[in-house]
Amino acid sequence: MNFSQSKTWRWLALALRIVLGAIFIYAAYLKLHESWRLFAMDIDAYGVLPSNGIWLELVARTLPWLEAALGVWLIAGFWLRGSATLAAAMMLGFIGLMTWARLKGLNINCGCFGTGEKISWITMLRDGSLLAAALLLAVGSHCGRRRARIEEETA
Amino acid sequence: MVSMKLCALVLAALLPGFAASTGPAKGQGFGSPNAPILIEVFSDFECPGCKLFHTQFRPLLVRDYVTVGKVYLVAHDLSFHAHSNEATAYALAAARIGKYDEVADALYEHQTEWSASGKVWDTVAAVLSPAEQKKVSALAKDPGVLAEVKSETDDGKTKIQRTPTILVIRGMKQYRFEGSPKWEIFRDWLNELLTK
Repeated sequence: MNFSQSKTWRWLALALRIVLGAIFIYAAYLKLHESWRLFAMDIDAYGVLPSNGIWLELVARTLPWLEAALGVWLIAGFWLRGSATLAAAMMLGFIGLMTWARLKGLNINCGCFGTGEKISWITMLRDGSLLAAALLLAVGSHCGRRRARIEEETA
Repeated sequence: MVSMKLCALVLAALLPGFAASTGPAKGQGFGSPNAPILIEVFSDFECPGCKLFHTQFRPLLVRDYVTVGKVYLVAHDLSFHAHSNEATAYALAAARIGKYDEVADALYEHQTEWSASGKVWDTVAAVLSPAEQKKVSALAKDPGVLAEVKSETDDGKTKIQRTPTILVIRGMKQYRFEGSPKWEIFRDWLNELLTK
């Protein structure tokens, strides 16, 4: 697929950017309009960060803002290669953690969209779809950029 | 005139429903009902996670928030396991003679033993005087107590999926926790909630 010139790709990319961006902003909003400590309790349940260290507070306080920023960048199309890649990496991290928690038999909250949502095959399928969308955007924007560079060099 | 009477009749019929939907369903209440935060705990005497909650989390909650009037704690005892129905009946019977705490503490402390052997009464009787044993033993068979055991469990099934589940209610907002969160983080969050 010619990512830079295909009309279909451009429309698809626009739709993916808006949907993915909106979901990231919504997820951030749900966490930010409550105390960061609620999100901290969800993170703590995974058992990957020390409960009484600064890392838990750092992640609980900053991750939602990163989600919000990514959401805005995706919708605006700003720094698309970077934001799409970062979004894909983030989703991969989330899915990895959820899979690990399930394998450990932990019956805990996902922490994806505020508190109270348990990790289930539905949450994993949903996040898997978001990962696929982010990957598609990331690959598309990288390929598009590469093609543009090649065309510049041969011109 | 007729329509006004009809409205009054309809309102009168609906009022009990409104009353039932505003406070917590039964359970055992601890602390002041006027406390700014209501915490409802749904637990099962035979659930290991509930034992952890009761022995480690609950004492801190009671010490720092319930006794000082910041939290009204309502405990709902559900029966999801093989012997928890009997255990709950004894606990609710004990509640009727003011011995709920002693019996609940004993049931959780010796959970492993009576869960394996099925000898719930031995654990309960150990913390009661002979006179109290007689009363609790009789009350545990009382239709009113058995109905309460059933209604707590049926009500719990509509509200929760696992035990322990903690519902924290402040005004119109409700927060749900399944399992026991880390006390230090929960405490700090509760303090923050109290300032809102």
